[in-house]
Amino acid sequence: MPLVTRNIEPRHLCRQTLPSVRSELECMTNITLANVIRQLGSLSKFAEDIFGELFTQANTFAFRVSSLVERVDRLQVKVTQLDPKEEEVSLQGINTRKAFKSSTTQDQKLFNRDSLPVPVLETYGVCNTPPPLSILSPYREDGKEALKFYTDPSYFFDLWKEKMLQDTKDIMKEKRKHRKEKKDNPNRGNVNPRKIKTRKEEWEKLKMGQEFVESKDKYGPAGYPSNMVYQNGSISSDETTDMSYYPPPPSDSVSPPSPSFPDDSLPPPPMDFSYPVDNQRGSGSGGQKRSSLVSPSHPPPAPPVVAPSGARPGFAPPPAPPPPPPMAGVPPPPPPVGLPPAEMPLPPSPSPFPPHPEFTAPPPPPLPAAEYCIAPPPPVSPAAIGAPPPPPPPPPPGPPPLSSSGMDGAPAPLPPPDSSAPKPKSSLPPVSDARCDLLSAIRQGFQLRKVEEQQEQEKRDVVGNDVATILSRRIAVEYSDSEDDSSEFDEDDWSD
Amino acid sequence: MSGQEDPVQREIHQDWANREYIEVITSSIKKIADFLNSFDMSCRSRLATLNEKLTALERRIEYIEARVTKGETLT
Repeated sequence: MPLVTRNIEPRHLCRQTLPSVRSELECMTNITLANVIRQLGSLSKFAEDIFGELFTQANTFAFRVSSLVERVDRLQVKVTQLDPKEEEVSLQGINTRKAFKSSTTQDQKLFNRDSLPVPVLETYGVCNTPPPLSILSPYREDGKEALKFYTDPSYFFDLWKEKMLQDTKDIMKEKRKHRKEKKDNPNRGNVNPRKIKTRKEEWEKLKMGQEFVESKDKYGPAGYPSNMVYQNGSISSDETTDMSYYPPPPSDSVSPPSPSFPDDSLPPPPMDFSYPVDNQRGSGSGGQKRSSLVSPSHPPPAPPVVAPSGARPGFAPPPAPPPPPPMAGVPPPPPPVGLPPAEMPLPPSPSPFPPHPEFTAPPPPPLPAAEYCIAPPPPVSPAAIGAPPPPPPPPPPGPPPLSSSGMDGAPAPLPPPDSSAPKPKSSLPPVSDARCDLLSAIRQGFQLRKVEEQQEQEKRDVVGNDVATILSRRIAVEYSDSEDDSSEFDEDDWSD
Repeated sequence: MSGQEDPVQREIHQDWANREYIEVITSSIKKIADFLNSFDMSCRSRLATLNEKLTALERRIEYIEARVTKGETLT
């Protein structure tokens, strides 16, 4: 609904009830003239506002220009001092120096309350405030703000953020699966050669026009329905018109950036997206949440050069692949140093405790290197008893707090369970140590819960709440993942 | 008859003159408002082009500075 920015105030000059006076026409004239003067007053107020805004903008530009002038002067001086014979052209110099990266700042938070022009803000001020439901929030059990159920200005952003994070997690899981498969079948060779890609399909898709290519995946192998849908000539690939033809997959309506993604590189999760309720997530994806916590430890790898600035038309040629996230070291490297000393007091712990399988086993080997290993923890396999086990479930990330608390917790429960040995040992298989003690597990469990909360908080603090960081992280993950799978498509795109 | 009509006629005549006067004033107010709007828009568009040019210049200068400095920092 468009709001008028500046409304000149007495809108109607003569629509008033007349006082009972003898000479009505004169009265009318006088009233009208008085209203005219009021109108002139509000006009001058708005004019002052307009010129003030323009003036501030021009001022900022003046500052920038002056600083630029200074820089140019300095450069001028410096350039005259350059001597071509002195220049160092060594190869080492070329390689060791940091490459030039221009600082592309992306404009963010363009349309929030602060950037609202003053007259519109005043218009908002005239309106009624929402009811003070925030008074009720201390009485809620789930800790949410009560007002958010009535009106939530950040709803859409939160929705989009959840979706992006979910997508990053899914992509990372897929990557892990791929790596595992490759690891498991190293001798598979080329048993499944890729399908021969003919261009005929592509040309047919392009037959109706470039804009319709996007609909290829929407109806599966039968591209026919989509052609039917667009036949009456309404071409726009705009989401709003799409909605009138078929209920769009949630990706279209929820995430504006997605249309420009090459469809094939987007994994299916956007189709399955459903707004995750907090309790759902809490129960279901505890492990996944932990596994995705790696992302804060290496926030956006590469992308500032790559990251799109708002409009993303040039997205098809994938950027120079960002450095593959450190998860390349996934086949868990048994931490060489930490393991042998820790091995002594601790025989491998084969009996997993169902509630915390992945937590009891790893604390002894501290695994600082394992913060990059995120293979989802399979239960501790008793088979690995004999050899020093390359720790099968590397501890989930957030390892510094975890390992430190683990280390603190581990020596502490160690002596007491040793002293209270008979009691726990009776309930355990004979091979186990006191470390497999329930008490120590509980203790560690308690500690871990604290750490989990900390982890969650850390995650929320570390993860920037910007559109830019979230997007860039997502893109980095996606492109580093799909550059292998979809390189074929990229070739097709480029060789047009 | 004309005695009755004259003051009324005079009043009505006067009223019409007043209304015309008011009409002139209000149409000029509208013209001022139009002028302010279009001035605002054109100023904003020019400032925006200025902004773009400034950004482009800044980027070029940054690049040149990076080329020219050999490790020391420009103060």
